Amino acid sequence: MPVIKTENISKKFGELKAVDEVNLGVEKGSLFGLLGPNGSGKTTMIKMLTGQIKPSSGSAKVLGIDPVKEGIRVREVVGIIPEQETPPSFLTSGEYLSFVAKIRKIDGIEEKSDWWFDYLDFADKKDVLCKDLSRGTRQKLMFAQAFLHDPEIALIDEPLINLDPVMQRKVKKFLKDYVESGNTVFLSTHILEIAEEICTDFAILHKGRLLHTGKTDELKEKGMHLDDFFMELVERS
Amino acid sequence: MFTLFTSMFKEEWRMHSTLFGNLNFALFPVLIFAIAFMGVFILPLITTVMDTVLLSIVVHAQFILLGIMVGSFGILGKEVMNRRFGQASLIAYSARSLPVSEQMVFLNFVVKDILYYFILWVLPFGLGFLAASPFLGINLYYPMLLLLTLSIAFLMGLCTIFLLSAIYSRSKPALFAVLAILLAGFLGSSILYSPGTVLSAVLLPVSIFDSFTYSGLLLSLGAIAVFFTLSILFFTSADTGSEKHYRNLLDSVSQRLGFLQDNTLVAKDFIDLYRSGIGIGQTIFSFLLPLGLIWLVLSFLREFLTQNNILFTIAVVTGVIASTMYTWVTEFDSISAYYFLPLNISSIIRAKTGTFTVLQVVPVVFIIAVGLLSDAAASIPNAVVLCLSVSFFELALMIRMCGLEPGTMIYNVRVFLKYILITGPVILVLLGLTFISPYLAYISVILFIPAWYLIKSGFKKWDNSDYAGF
Repeated sequence: MPVIKTENISKKFGELKAVDEVNLGVEKGSLFGLLGPNGSGKTTMIKMLTGQIKPSSGSAKVLGIDPVKEGIRVREVVGIIPEQETPPSFLTSGEYLSFVAKIRKIDGIEEKSDWWFDYLDFADKKDVLCKDLSRGTRQKLMFAQAFLHDPEIALIDEPLINLDPVMQRKVKKFLKDYVESGNTVFLSTHILEIAEEICTDFAILHKGRLLHTGKTDELKEKGMHLDDFFMELVERS
Repeated sequence: MFTLFTSMFKEEWRMHSTLFGNLNFALFPVLIFAIAFMGVFILPLITTVMDTVLLSIVVHAQFILLGIMVGSFGILGKEVMNRRFGQASLIAYSARSLPVSEQMVFLNFVVKDILYYFILWVLPFGLGFLAASPFLGINLYYPMLLLLTLSIAFLMGLCTIFLLSAIYSRSKPALFAVLAILLAGFLGSSILYSPGTVLSAVLLPVSIFDSFTYSGLLLSLGAIAVFFTLSILFFTSADTGSEKHYRNLLDSVSQRLGFLQDNTLVAKDFIDLYRSGIGIGQTIFSFLLPLGLIWLVLSFLREFLTQNNILFTIAVVTGVIASTMYTWVTEFDSISAYYFLPLNISSIIRAKTGTFTVLQVVPVVFIIAVGLLSDAAASIPNAVVLCLSVSFFELALMIRMCGLEPGTMIYNVRVFLKYILITGPVILVLLGLTFISPYLAYISVILFIPAWYLIKSGFKKWDNSDYAGF
């Protein structure tokens, strides 16, 4: 039984078809990579799945909840890292996590946020305004807020893009452990090396259309690399 | 540098036209032209109840106010570059990666804004008056002169506020010192000279319109040039890379606001207002300064208006200007920073309304001060009720029509027209009633009924539409 499922989901912005009749199923406990070039519709997919925008047609279910009808409920149970790491400019990092905790009604925030500050190694930035943080530190903060309430599913949009190699390794390990404990990750990225390394399943999106879905292990068994496979598909379409 | 300027100009146009459609936005100056054109035909009617000098003062004061409003973006000081350029990803942001000084980028940005809003507001108004004048046999000299003096009024308002805000971005004590000197100068000259002399010095474009002199024109243009140059020189850009540490305010402020449903979001708004300097800046530049100017103009009309009339007129205008506090809390932060959390658009608007409600303390204090200082203490309760009724009604209109984007949606010609057509008659009727009897000011509480309906229907409307944002 998939925890995320879409049926012919589409989104049009004026004349532009950002997502075009996509059918997806994401199984519980998988680290699912939604791959595609810039502008292929990955972010639009995440926004539709979390009820931030409404699809033009088709439907979706996340943990059995319809994001069109119950967008708030979906956003309550999942964790999200949006495409742009934009925490509110005039809150400090610590205040921002406290803000998220209050909105999500999470108890014991002090302890939880301290764990994240230590784990992602930015405790010295706890009292610094978000606008004065580097992009990498903002990315860490956005990562922390997404997992603060221990969600069953995390939908994360390019979460590693601004992180240094040390932190990337740490985050990748976290995601693998998170999935191994029965949770699900829906990762949107165009960095194929990362997807190949950590994803169990993947789908390739190009110009809003779904080109392929499959398992990374199957590719490895065939002796293929994800980036070669990706290039071949995208160039052919 | 000209390429930078033209690109910014095109960008401003595209930003507005993308939001509202090319035609819808292109019609905005046409609408201003039409309003001025038709306004000329009711001039004979207006002059039967209003002295031409008074009318000239009112029109010029409005364009000084327009300049103040357009120029007050500068109050964001250090934040203006970060917020407007950084998050919105405008050309100016890219320009900072080019070998161009930030002052030059800012100069281009300001000149673009002056020209853009001149074409959008001032020019169509002047041309509307010019086009209608032959039909009433008005000598073309007057509309031409009016276009000149309105342009001066607009630029004076803009450059004055821009200079003050540039000083503010450098040093808050320096700004308060300048304001204190200006106030002392004004009070001193009020004692030494006649009200007419003081008024013509403050409203120089009115004097030029009443009796044109080249020396007056040169003086005003010189003042504009000096203010403008000093503003550019004083401008200080974003202070990037600073790593000041702040104590946690969110927990204590949200606890103090625990009586509100959305206390966390409201607390965030207040922290934003406090730490960005926008709260104090907007209170001075977008609230106290324009209202002070209006009070000044009205107080010189004591021979035409009673103290009560002046207080109620100020109460209505304060209500309208106080309603723009909604733009303070919606403009400076993108909700994309927290919209992915379990929040509805309506709950964010409701929280902004909560912040707005708390901020209404400012207009209430202002009305009480005006009432006490102008010897109309008995009418203060009526004036406060009138002011708050107007303010909440206007807020409800903005919520219904503009959602979380009141600052930009106002340039949608349909929104603007609806706003004017609804607000205008309401204000005129209320003012008329208070002129009959001060007790009739209490009738204004009726406005809370449509306001409630507008807010409720606005919540539904914005929850059902995708949040566009920038």
